Amino acid sequence: MSDEMIGVDEFRAEARAWIQANLEVAPPTEGRGARTENVSPEEIAAARVLQRKLFDAGFAGISYPKEYGGRGLSPAHEHAFAQEASGYVTPDFGGAGAVTFGPIGRSILEHGTEELKAEHLPKILSGEEIWCQFYSEPEAGSDLAGIRTSAVRDGDHYVLNGSKIWSTGAYYADWAMCLARTDWDVPKHRGLTWFVVPTNAPGVTVNRIEQIDGAAGFCEEFLDDVSVPASDMLGEEGQGWSVTQTMLVYERGAGMSGAAGEPRRVAPDMVALAAKVGRLDDPVARQCIARAHILDWAQFHLGRRIGARLRSPDRPAPAIAAYGKLAMGTFLPIRAQQGVLIGGSRALSWARGDEDARQAAINYLNGRMVSIAAGTNEMQRNGIGERVLGLPREPSFDQNKPFAEVVRDARNWSGKVG
Amino acid sequence: MDDDLSTDQQVLVDAAARFAEDTFPITKLRERAFDDDAFAAAYRRQAGELGWFSLVVPEEHGGGSVSGNGALDAALVAYTRGRLLQPVGFVGANVVAHAIATSGTGPDGGAQRERALAALMAGDAPGAWVVGNLSGAPALDGAVDATPNRDGPDGDGWSLSGTAVMVEDADATAWLLVAAATPEGPAQLLVAPGTAGVSFAPVDGLDLSRRYADVTFTGAAIPASALVGAIGDRAFGERLLALASTLTVAECVGAMHQELEMTVDYAKQRIAFGRPIGSFQAIKHLLADTSTMLEVSKAVALAAASQVGDDDPHAAQAASQAKAFVADAAMDQAQACFQVFGGISFTWEHDQHLFFRRITTGAEQFGDAAWHREHVCVLAGIGRVA
Repeated sequence: MSDEMIGVDEFRAEARAWIQANLEVAPPTEGRGARTENVSPEEIAAARVLQRKLFDAGFAGISYPKEYGGRGLSPAHEHAFAQEASGYVTPDFGGAGAVTFGPIGRSILEHGTEELKAEHLPKILSGEEIWCQFYSEPEAGSDLAGIRTSAVRDGDHYVLNGSKIWSTGAYYADWAMCLARTDWDVPKHRGLTWFVVPTNAPGVTVNRIEQIDGAAGFCEEFLDDVSVPASDMLGEEGQGWSVTQTMLVYERGAGMSGAAGEPRRVAPDMVALAAKVGRLDDPVARQCIARAHILDWAQFHLGRRIGARLRSPDRPAPAIAAYGKLAMGTFLPIRAQQGVLIGGSRALSWARGDEDARQAAINYLNGRMVSIAAGTNEMQRNGIGERVLGLPREPSFDQNKPFAEVVRDARNWSGKVG
Repeated sequence: MDDDLSTDQQVLVDAAARFAEDTFPITKLRERAFDDDAFAAAYRRQAGELGWFSLVVPEEHGGGSVSGNGALDAALVAYTRGRLLQPVGFVGANVVAHAIATSGTGPDGGAQRERALAALMAGDAPGAWVVGNLSGAPALDGAVDATPNRDGPDGDGWSLSGTAVMVEDADATAWLLVAAATPEGPAQLLVAPGTAGVSFAPVDGLDLSRRYADVTFTGAAIPASALVGAIGDRAFGERLLALASTLTVAECVGAMHQELEMTVDYAKQRIAFGRPIGSFQAIKHLLADTSTMLEVSKAVALAAASQVGDDDPHAAQAASQAKAFVADAAMDQAQACFQVFGGISFTWEHDQHLFFRRITTGAEQFGDAAWHREHVCVLAGIGRVA
């Protein structure tokens, strides 16, 4: 059978038949808020088995090229599969799954050497390799090009030193994509290089970070004289920033597929909370309930619109993905606030150990995450302002001087330009 | 509004834009050309020829959509109208025509209603849906009281009393559909032009692009055949409100699009402190936020229109959700754009206030954000009130 010509509808029918025959129906969930929960080794092992099943049936990496184990079809085919598989148990690798199949896989495909692609992409698609990002640092998050982890050439190897933070799922990932500075004597965007690092390499220490909600999905890492072969580089030395652009587009586009159905039941968690405190008929609480639901519903339709625009043949600026991210980073804190406004003291306290009852408070904490993670709301605003609306750039104080001077000059900030 | 228009939809939208630009550019708006009855009548007829008032009327009644989803097509026209600040009671005429065409034949065999439908679709007469209470909020239980009137024209009609404010395009030549409270429940009653006991008081208002009147009924006698749909058919009223809300949202989003485009252009050109002001994050971030909410507004406007046109069981809820979201976004945007323009937008000469006025009016008409949020809860059956 030639897949080259298969239409989306035909593919959808094939996918539906396979899904119905091979996947289990997922238990109904009233899931809400960002996932930051802990992932167990058993869950990861089960996800690997299920991913292998998809891979063997030709439903892994649907929009990845065939030579690397994918199906060689379009994003529209991939979207169709996701829609059909909604409501079934699919491989769940926690946060690292989205990272592996999104920004990591895509940037290896776009920027990797033939050897790198052949080595890693089939293993990624078959569930053998889970990846994480050594990306942000304690002193460089939104200003990612300001990272300070160094990579120094030593014969046919590089030696990496520094610290990384906010790596999703690094504690169970097999590999990391690590951004390091290979040249301190050029402006910041030009001295960056990506390296492929096994998470169990000598000198790599991975610690889990306990978050504000008590979960520990993110990690911090220390790199002490970690030796990496010079061939294990993604893109060329000094070209790290263009690779980063690819990663950020996929990272911000993540969660944009709109595979899940339209939220139609009016904010069930808010209705339950209002019922618990006897406020279902209180006009103020009702405004809060509707406000929460309308944000969910609006976010869904925005995601669907942006996804469709990004998949359309006349591709708009990839920067429009930032609309979805900024909307979510704006809406989720407002939504979480509605729970507190409805529940009052009962949203802020609960019977000891009652996991369900503490959800409004957990959402109140975790509702902030999207406004910071993968580029703060302010970074999205800059991106939309400059790359979607075409507004002129802010003057820059670190674009043209060697990075080594940037930090020194910033410490002696006078407010005078030039 | 939609990147993915069919060829037929594109033709519809292009024709609407061409007509609007030729017939009622902003110079005409500033001259208040639409206040002139002859101009208004000519404009309305041309709009009728373009099919503006037939899109939500089924083909068997002489109407027809271009895509199979009439509400979506009408929303695309509405968006273009908002973008170009066009007059005419587009929402009212469409709601009344849709109501008549989809409610079956009346007790008189539908003769009067056929007449009304033909006049509305051709643009020969204005149409207005009278559904607002004294603050204009939708009163689906009845905006006007209807008491049984055995002495009426056909011996079994009603007598209407009450006042509805700020009804677009309402005048003595208009066909009115009145959401009335009868003793047996809410009913939609069609009131013919020239009915005695109905008076129209034109009102001045914030929006300069359209015209409005308060309508007062003082014992207006109407026949039993005026009934459109069934008495007590609440779902029918909901369906009409969903259509009215959806088209109002689309017009509003069109005006928002144009206003933001003007504002972004200005931020690129205006120099202050040695830089284009759009390079300052204070301005850039305000515009990025506004642009994001506009993008969401477009998404929800299209979603609601599409569900209304599909007779989706959740269409009424979707329409209220879209109206609530866009009403807030619209008023926030009006202020944000004003802030970017600064002093120039406080002048009569600058066009921003024309958009500001229209957008604010759109946010309020057929229910503001708070009204529609409450309505979402009502539709979902939350609490005792249902």
